[in-house]
Amino acid sequence: MRLMTTAVLAATALTAVTLVARPAAAQPVELMLWHMEQPPHRVARVQELINSFNAAHPDIVVTQEPQNWGEIYAKAPAAIAAGTGPDLLFAIPDFTPILKDIGALTSVADFVAELDAEHDFVDSTVAAYSYDGGVWAVPLYNMAMSLWYRKSVFEEAGIAVPTTWPEWKAAAEALSNDETWGIGLPANRQLYTDQTVYDFMVNNGASELYNEDGTIRFDNPQTVEAYDFYAQMQAMSPPDSTSWTWGEAEACFSSRACAMILQFTVITTYDTQAEGDPEDLGVAPIPHAEGQDESYTIAYPNAVMLLSQDEAKREAAETFIRYLLEPENYGRFLNMEPGLFMPVTADGATAESFWNDPLAQKYRSQIEVMIENAQNGMLFGFTSGRTFPSIAAISAQNILAETLQRIVVDGESPADAVAAGQARMMETIE
Amino acid sequence: MSRGWAWGLSTAGVGAFFVILIGLPFWWVLSSAFKAPQEIIARRPTMVPESFTLQHFEKLLSASAYPTYLANSMLVATAATLITLVLALPAAYAFFRMDFPGRERLYRAILIAYAFPTVVVLIPLYGMFAAIGLVDSLVALIIVDVAFALPFSVWMLRSFLATVPKEIEEAAEIDGAGTLTLMVRIMLPLVAPGIASVGIFAFITSWTEYLFASVLIVSDSNRTIPVGFSGIIGQYQVDWGLLLAGSTLAILPVVALFALIGRWFVAGLTEGAVK
Repeated sequence: MRLMTTAVLAATALTAVTLVARPAAAQPVELMLWHMEQPPHRVARVQELINSFNAAHPDIVVTQEPQNWGEIYAKAPAAIAAGTGPDLLFAIPDFTPILKDIGALTSVADFVAELDAEHDFVDSTVAAYSYDGGVWAVPLYNMAMSLWYRKSVFEEAGIAVPTTWPEWKAAAEALSNDETWGIGLPANRQLYTDQTVYDFMVNNGASELYNEDGTIRFDNPQTVEAYDFYAQMQAMSPPDSTSWTWGEAEACFSSRACAMILQFTVITTYDTQAEGDPEDLGVAPIPHAEGQDESYTIAYPNAVMLLSQDEAKREAAETFIRYLLEPENYGRFLNMEPGLFMPVTADGATAESFWNDPLAQKYRSQIEVMIENAQNGMLFGFTSGRTFPSIAAISAQNILAETLQRIVVDGESPADAVAAGQARMMETIE
Repeated sequence: MSRGWAWGLSTAGVGAFFVILIGLPFWWVLSSAFKAPQEIIARRPTMVPESFTLQHFEKLLSASAYPTYLANSMLVATAATLITLVLALPAAYAFFRMDFPGRERLYRAILIAYAFPTVVVLIPLYGMFAAIGLVDSLVALIIVDVAFALPFSVWMLRSFLATVPKEIEEAAEIDGAGTLTLMVRIMLPLVAPGIASVGIFAFITSWTEYLFASVLIVSDSNRTIPVGFSGIIGQYQVDWGLLLAGSTLAILPVVALFALIGRWFVAGLTEGAVK
């Protein structure tokens, strides 16, 4: 009996030890991704990629919650402060400083260097997130503005694609008639106008908003000339362009009411809402002022920020980003909106997965020009390797667009408007 | 007689002018939701559609989470309306009939809720809801919507209660009615137009609320129409057909509500305006 009791006790102890010693089934690392690509087809494409990633990585579970650009500037800091923020969050350059300032970001310099060695990032896309001794986000895709037109309309009018401002103005004048506006340029106090105004500034040598010491240098002759020329061109735009955002410009072009527009892309809209003839859709670099050597454009290198401080989650997030940037996946990711999102890596620009998309194949020549234009991309506040995070406040208040409205709507002279713009910028960053 | 004829004609003309002025944009939105994409963005807008398609509605309902947004909005707006009504009536009755210290001051003070821009309380409210686990919950939206609709609803209902002759209440009291009976069985039916007005006010306030819904809700499955829909239509590229189809569907519940109780609403507006 005693022997039996001893045996039972021993067996129980052995079982207990075995149970304790056996490793608990590892829980997968859960990652929450917030991005601002809300249209249903983009959400669906991101979900496809997430599904295939999750299937290939059973130890990681990624989920997405699309957010809206309109609210994310307030929502993300609030969520992070309350401990309900995401682990990965998409960004544009002027959003990142806001989260960096509240201590939500850790530099990803080493990780970006590793990815750069493997995929070769477009330098300007990394530069936009490199300041204060760190790299604060991983570039994912680029957007650059171009000049859009119809080849047949230019041919009919006997006009060559303009490369300089005088040629551009002459083309717009020649194309203006009872049926068509020569060009569609916005004058709304909104981000789209900030972007198009900056297109004019960079093409007149006024790309820098800051001096090296961080003081504002907005009020200079090149900027005044750029605004003056913008106002002259804007006079050939539809009267409602003072309230335009991107969609109205695209509609104007697609309906043939505007002969030219500046846009990141019109491919999807042109294909679904206009005639959809790839042979007729023209895309070109934005014309530059006389005396400038080449054309530049505004470009938005979009990126992803890693917000989690948890080591396992950061590792999992890096694994997910590595996966997205692999050429066989990267093209599928970019083509969530074909023709809008440009690659930020050298191997991405040649990836079969990118060019295999039917729309990318159909409009290949246009997309190639867009990629080329993106090489000369700049973004206000993030130029010449100098980044001033206070640009976030200037951008948030649309001061570039506000300055234009002083000219176009209030009738001020370009010099006075730019001087007032400089004062507003200084007041904003104080 | 001829003056009457001229008067009638001019009244009809002015009426027709305002009907067209107000109705034309709605007509354009409704009719364009059924147009082909090319016709929607055509240089010259067509008031009578030249094409007909259901593709925008099909895409909206099958390829987006619009039905979920619609259901969430219905749930939040209906719950917020019912709770507002349940709370506003006794509060208004208390302010109207009961004597308690500081009644008038408190009555005026409740409108202080509207003195501050709502964005001011956005972040503190987010923190509070996060602390009690209500971020990304429709309950949070219902609480916020009720909180913002209630003060004005109390004011409106008190005005309606003031239109009821005191003799009716006195007669009920003589018959032995208590406060609750008086409020529910006597006053409630008499201020039905006021209830309808407050109901419509609370419903529309909740149905169109954007700011808090955009920040307090995180997941797509909990979004309401204003926030979810703004994401569907896109930023750089606008799908105009989707926009128009979504707008058409979004106004249907409000139109249905007006169709059901709109007559009371108009009667309520006029009755509440005159004591």
